Amino acid sequence: MNDAASDTRDIVVEEVFPHAPETIWKTLTTGELIGRWLMAPAGFEPVEGNRFTFQTKPGGAWDGVIHCQVLEVIPNQRFVYSWKGGHAANVGYGAPLDSVVTWTLSRTADGTRLRLVHSGFVVPRNESALETMGNGWKKVVRSIGGIADEQG
Amino acid sequence: MVATAPLDTVMQALAVPTRRAVLERIIRSGEITVVELTRGSGVTQGAISQHLKSLKQAGLVAERPEGRNVYYRARPEGLEPLADWMSHYGAFWRDRFADLRALLKEIDP
Repeated sequence: MNDAASDTRDIVVEEVFPHAPETIWKTLTTGELIGRWLMAPAGFEPVEGNRFTFQTKPGGAWDGVIHCQVLEVIPNQRFVYSWKGGHAANVGYGAPLDSVVTWTLSRTADGTRLRLVHSGFVVPRNESALETMGNGWKKVVRSIGGIADEQG
Repeated sequence: MVATAPLDTVMQALAVPTRRAVLERIIRSGEITVVELTRGSGVTQGAISQHLKSLKQAGLVAERPEGRNVYYRARPEGLEPLADWMSHYGAFWRDRFADLRALLKEIDP
């Protein structure tokens, strides 16, 4: 049982691809290629300290811009960047997010195991969180339509 | 630990205005019985019970029997699927992996 007001959790997706780590590395760290499977980044360079952005759908008081900074580059093995966006006035889609995206590549017999960890999601856990969310209640209900559209 | 209901279940539970009103009253009350919820609501106790059932299935309320009464209270964690970005991003990354797989097949057949 966690007594803190909030808790952070990770999203983990892991798959094996029938391609060499070097090939996958290229798709993760080349601006043009990133644009073909993720979103087109602005100002991206695979260099530690580089700041870049993604433009996504605005939501409520949030302009839809995701601010990233390259944190770690180990060619063909590990690529880490921060992922920040959202606005405090939003609940649900567009809520504040201060997170980190970590890509790990490991060679397998016939390809590469690619692991994504998106960490830092704050999840409300207790009554005070409920109070806070109670204030944002109407917004939550309003944003339901938006979430449903995106999932459909 | 109680598992979080899928986003769809939570959304369906909240899609009915009367049901949202019931949940809002439970949130404001802290703990409340069906009889108290029915009083002044303008709907029958049977209808309130049905709404409570949906809210319970969605993980949005929990019940506590005491003597002949059952007390209902809100479960803040039941709102998780809506209150955070996780469900959004979980689906987002799985879709991106599928797109990445397609791209790799194209550039490295």
